[in-house]
Amino acid sequence: MQDIILLNELRKVQDKEGYVSEKSARKINKKTGIPLSRIYAAATFYAKIHTEPQGKYVIEVCNSPSCYLNGSLNLIKYLVRKLKIKSGQTTKDKKFSLHISSCIGCCDEAPAMLLNDKPYTKLTKEKIDEILKKCK
Amino acid sequence: MQIKKQTKGKAYKKAKKLGSKEVIKLLKNKAVVGQGGANFPTGTKWEMVLNEKEPEKYIICNADEGEPGTFKDKFILTNNPDIVIEGLLIGAEVIKAKKAFIYLRGEYEYLLPKIKRSITKVKKQTKSKIPIEIVVGQGAYICGEETAIMESIANRRPQPLQKPPFPTQNGLYGKPTVLNNVGTLANVSLAIHYKDFDPELRLYSLSGNLTTPGIFELKLGIKLGDLIRLGNPEHPIKAVYFGCFGGCMPYNPDMKISPKDICGKDCILGSCTIIAVDEKHSIVDMATNIAKFYEFESCGKCTPCREGTMRILGLLENISMKDASMKDLDTLQELAEVIKETSFCGLGQTATSHLLTALKHFRKEFEERVKEKRNRRRVAR
Repeated sequence: MQDIILLNELRKVQDKEGYVSEKSARKINKKTGIPLSRIYAAATFYAKIHTEPQGKYVIEVCNSPSCYLNGSLNLIKYLVRKLKIKSGQTTKDKKFSLHISSCIGCCDEAPAMLLNDKPYTKLTKEKIDEILKKCK
Repeated sequence: MQIKKQTKGKAYKKAKKLGSKEVIKLLKNKAVVGQGGANFPTGTKWEMVLNEKEPEKYIICNADEGEPGTFKDKFILTNNPDIVIEGLLIGAEVIKAKKAFIYLRGEYEYLLPKIKRSITKVKKQTKSKIPIEIVVGQGAYICGEETAIMESIANRRPQPLQKPPFPTQNGLYGKPTVLNNVGTLANVSLAIHYKDFDPELRLYSLSGNLTTPGIFELKLGIKLGDLIRLGNPEHPIKAVYFGCFGGCMPYNPDMKISPKDICGKDCILGSCTIIAVDEKHSIVDMATNIAKFYEFESCGKCTPCREGTMRILGLLENISMKDASMKDLDTLQELAEVIKETSFCGLGQTATSHLLTALKHFRKEFEERVKEKRNRRRVAR
């Protein structure tokens, strides 16, 4: 059992299916023998593991002090207006999910966000428009 | 920059020739200390694990830097991952570890290919047979805490454990474990290979209201003003935060940056994170932002931290929205002190440092915000 890393298993499932459903949690349980309760306890703990379906593009906007001091709040408001969803929600067309996140380590290029785990930095409203336009 | 120097597997070969005890002696002599913030002597930590009788041991590279404003590990892993991997393999060799782990934070997942390439390269250079497993964290600040990171790797909910026993005795899977920061392992390789290794050099993560923020490699004990000048602030700087957990201080350009000069003043230097705040920004809003962070990241294990961070955020939001009284400021102070005194782990114990220091140095700003409400009410009447 020491050779199985639950986090990596959860991530694998999420990369394939977009989120960790009860069905896939049961599959992990069968494959690894880790109790379902423990799988669920881990899955619900981490900010980057989702137990609800996510959009095709998952946006995580940083709102930690360095980004905040460089105007992240305005960008979050802009995204909320533009996508018509709040943090933690997914657009009706299942294209975008929005999350306000803790520090993503791009403090020297603030404000920043991750889009499907790829960092985008020195953001402006115009830059966000451009990035979202490319999301097909 | 010292941190960009390469060792090309030579540090590992030298370490292997010297043997465990001599390497530990060398690290102690060269004053290699933890770069994660605690400044614990690396040689001593390794010696503690080496001396444990249990044959199964582990070493973990902590690449889960979650402290807001800190990005030095990202810098090292981007620019020179090889010396980190080499340091990890040296550590594994010295303590005779069964397996080595790299706990990489999920937010840095894009560095994964680079790290994997580096592992292949360094393993070829060193011919080390010790397996390295990468675990990608999934966004939990608490995983910077040493017992939480081990719980996370051991497939449990990453909540901190009681210490003692310390991980050097009872760590990952209940076995003696060394946990070292990315920067520490990089320094291990450098200290073993280079005669002129300077243990006083630190990577400062500088960010905030600056036009040229970034990573700066400078000695401990430099003047704060000299560092801030490198960041070219547009407006006068009012305060500096040492990350979220380190607390804040009014900006004093002549203050020296070293644990000795900072830690006695309610602040903690930690891993040399400096967030500069200029006069255009309010400390009350900063406090609310940081309180939100702690409320979100509290793991929920102990009551003072779980409930307290939530109440602190509520009070601060009321103050921010100009819907509070002076009495709320006293409640805030008292609550912050209780959380500091009674929380289970380091996260909770430092979760209100930012607020206590802000109330100490910038109480006026809080009071003014509260008074603004009163004035508004008067106008309404």
